[in-house]
Amino acid sequence: MYMQPTTNTVEEPLDLIRLSLDERIYVKMRNDRELRGRLHAYDQHLNMILGDVEETVTTVEIDEETYEELYKSTKRNIPMLFVRGDGVVLVAPPLRVG
Amino acid sequence: MADSLRERTIAENSMVILLQGLQGQVTTVDLKNESTARGRVVNVDAFMNIRLKDVLYRDRKGQLTQLQELFITGRNVRYVHIPDHIDIMKTIESQLAKIHRVRNFASQGGGRKEYTKKSKKHSGATSETKRNEKIKGLRTKET
Repeated sequence: MYMQPTTNTVEEPLDLIRLSLDERIYVKMRNDRELRGRLHAYDQHLNMILGDVEETVTTVEIDEETYEELYKSTKRNIPMLFVRGDGVVLVAPPLRVG
Repeated sequence: MADSLRERTIAENSMVILLQGLQGQVTTVDLKNESTARGRVVNVDAFMNIRLKDVLYRDRKGQLTQLQELFITGRNVRYVHIPDHIDIMKTIESQLAKIHRVRNFASQGGGRKEYTKKSKKHSGATSETKRNEKIKGLRTKET
C-alpha cells in the first residue's frame, strides 16, 4: 500500500493527529462550525476525510429589545465528508462531558 | 490525469488525489459562501479546483438554479460529500497507480525520467517514499 511508512514516535504536531487515525475526533472550524466524526485520513494541509460526521453550526441572535444573546445551533449528519484543511482551526479528541 | 509533473506531484502528496478519483460521480460540494452545488464531477485539479456538470446550485438563501457547467475555485471549497459507495482506499490506490504508470511509461526506452531510480533493485515506490519522507505526505490507517 502506498501510504508512506510512518514512524511510531511522535516528532511533530501532525504526528499527534496520526495517533487519532480511525478514532473519533472533534474538529473546530472557522465560521463557528464544529465537526465530530471518525478520522479516516488527513494530509499536511489538514484536509481530512471524516466518517459518520455530525456538523454543528452555532449562531448568535441578539434580541432587539433586551439585547440578550440567544445561541442557536444547527446540526446535520453526513456519512462521509472531505474537509478542506484551510477551514480547520483545531483537532482534538471528542470533548468529554463533566 | 493532470498533464504537468508539478500537478501530479502536488496531487500525489495530498488528499486531493481522492477527489480526483471521484471523476464521473455525482457529489455535493459545500462552498465557503454557504452555498452548495450538486453535480457530476468532470475534473478536479491539484489545487482542488472542481469542474461539475448538470449542476443543481443552491445559494445561501436556498434558491435553486440549474447549471450545465460549474467551475469552483479550490479556495472556495469547504466540504465535498463523498458518495456512500466509494471505497476510499481503493480510489486513492488506483489514482496513485495511474500516476506511477505515467511516470514509468515515460522512463521506458530511456525516455524522460520523472525521478531517477538510484538502483534497479529498489522499486520506484521506495525511492519515491524516501523523497516523500522529506515532503509531508498522505497518512492513513495502516492495514
